[in-house]
Amino acid sequence: MINIQDMRDTARGLLTKKEVRAVIGYRRSTNGMLAEPVVITDPAQADELIWDPTCFHNLSLYLVEDRKFLTHVRKTADAPIAIVAKGCDARSIVVLMQEHYFERKDVYIIGMSCEGSGVLDERKLAAKGIRATDAAFDGDDFVFATAQGEQRIAAREVMADRCLECREPFPKEHNAVLGENKTGRELNAPFTALHRFEELDAGARWKFWEHQFERCIRCFACRSVCPMCYCEECVVDSISFPVTGQTSAEEKANRVRWIERSATRPENMTYHMTRVLHLAGRCIDCNECERVCPVNIPLRLLNNKMEREAREEFGYEPGASIGGPSLTASFLDTDPGKFIR
Amino acid sequence: MEKILGKTKIDDWVAALSDHPQEVGRGCKAAEAATTTHWQVSAPVLEDGIWSYQSGSGSVQLEHSNTTQPPKGFSFPQREVFFSFEQIKGEPPKLTQKLPQATRHAVFGVRPCDGCGAVRMDKVFSDHVADTYYTARRSNVAYVGLACNQPQGINCFCLSVGGSPVSSDGMDVLMTDLGDRYFVAAVTDTGKALMAAGNSVFSEPTAADRKQLQQTHAEAIAQPQRAINNLDAAPAKLKASFDSPLWEELARACIGCGVCTFLCPTCHCFDINDENTSATPIKGNRVRTWDNCQFPDFTMHTSGHNPRESLGSRLRQRVSHKFQYFHENFGMPQCTGCGRCITECSVGIDIVNVVNKVAEHAG
Repeated sequence: MINIQDMRDTARGLLTKKEVRAVIGYRRSTNGMLAEPVVITDPAQADELIWDPTCFHNLSLYLVEDRKFLTHVRKTADAPIAIVAKGCDARSIVVLMQEHYFERKDVYIIGMSCEGSGVLDERKLAAKGIRATDAAFDGDDFVFATAQGEQRIAAREVMADRCLECREPFPKEHNAVLGENKTGRELNAPFTALHRFEELDAGARWKFWEHQFERCIRCFACRSVCPMCYCEECVVDSISFPVTGQTSAEEKANRVRWIERSATRPENMTYHMTRVLHLAGRCIDCNECERVCPVNIPLRLLNNKMEREAREEFGYEPGASIGGPSLTASFLDTDPGKFIR
Repeated sequence: MEKILGKTKIDDWVAALSDHPQEVGRGCKAAEAATTTHWQVSAPVLEDGIWSYQSGSGSVQLEHSNTTQPPKGFSFPQREVFFSFEQIKGEPPKLTQKLPQATRHAVFGVRPCDGCGAVRMDKVFSDHVADTYYTARRSNVAYVGLACNQPQGINCFCLSVGGSPVSSDGMDVLMTDLGDRYFVAAVTDTGKALMAAGNSVFSEPTAADRKQLQQTHAEAIAQPQRAINNLDAAPAKLKASFDSPLWEELARACIGCGVCTFLCPTCHCFDINDENTSATPIKGNRVRTWDNCQFPDFTMHTSGHNPRESLGSRLRQRVSHKFQYFHENFGMPQCTGCGRCITECSVGIDIVNVVNKVAEHAG
């Protein structure tokens, strides 16, 4: 069991000794019982930090934001930035370093082991009819505060699918780490949800996705929350067209738009297909995209499919090693070539 | 017109509306009325884990918490085709206006915050110039509201933005749940027509029904909600805080997605694009789609300069529009307190908190 005070003390110590310039962590939000991301720079703020089953967020997104900001203001950091990271979050930090987005020395990772647990799936809790005002880890249980008093539930009953299927609930890459390493705990076999979905035949699966993509409102929450979606320009935004004084109206009108603004099914499908392909070999299954979707599109099925392909065809695990070759930028003689005709 | 409707009889009313030729509609032309014979009834349905307005089931069950998306799409859809175009070489361009089809929508189960949202949308799209497309749709939409006996979620704050959980603003009919029956009150002439279509499914309210209604409404208003501390002071406080460093601090976790605005009952910004469907000859549609002040390209100039590059400036825009600019233009806050932008924000950006903090900071 992790003692929250240990995490706070770690953060406070780092800031006091000026070993880091800021700590990215979680604090209580004003939206009910949920945690929210916070960046603290003052050691006195360390007591705001929390660690509970609503710490869903993959905070490595803010490492990307920090890097973008430093580039924008043309500054170099005088000290690393610290980040509170679960096993999945640490894997995404590894991918970002593998892609040279920043270097290992730029980041101080305060690893948090999920031990035998994981984060909450709010929908599973709502399905049980529980309205909680607070959530806490307690061994293999979550303990909720409700109007009717304390309610204890086995974590696996309301845990996010991705946590049930997680193969590495321990942040292997870290500077400091809290909690036990329980890698190999295997609550659910990997890709359980995907296997279940694939029991449907191709026709039914197509119908399913037609329905899902019809519902997308293109709020781009999935893209915005994704630490891997760091492109300066995204195909869906119309800012990538260079305009000069000589650009004619016709050229502007006829610029290539890969995806129209209209949230119609074919456009939505192109958007999601583009995204999922760009995430192949990079997505580490934090599943923030699915969590933040306001209309509940099950995006994890798409990302998991790519992850499993990479694993089965190329033996590739995203986020495994900073120095290792990346899936799409490397070639091995043993790679299967059956799709090349 | 005030009536009582037994809960088991609501589908009979829906059936009557679906079958009943409709003669009067707000601002509709005679020609349109002649081609329109029924109300298409929509109501909240729980599907894919969310409540959304859906039509055609013939059955209406008003057991919903508020819908994830407000009903604004009935009059302001996410995509509206203005006209189609075709350019054959050597010939003048051919433009064909596409006015929305005059389908009559009776939308059931609309919550008071969203009714108030419709009032604000109507102001935006009729001020100075009436928007043809919005008007064409809006004149065919009737809202059958449902008062909130209980707050719909932990982030409701209608009372502190001049609304109420039993408000009939923007509604054509307001229903109140009295246990085994609804108290149904017509608010507009369209509402009266809707109720007249149901005719025999209703009964007259008794003195006891009216007493219960009053009590239910009083209890609803007394339910605790979240609160904006001083609404009247907000416009001036925001104005004074335009250059405040607080905005960047409050937006520090913002991811710049469109959840808060796309789910807002009063956000109405749009973009207009030409969508080509053929290159030779050039053919396509001019299309209006929702746009969003949180997106990176919303204020992007053709020069490449972006006056609202930072997330703090975008948060300031959203909040100031709701509580200052709209107030300056229309004398009321634009926000109706539905709480969607708080509940659905994945990183805890909270408009109540933001307004209170900025006001406090402004001194």
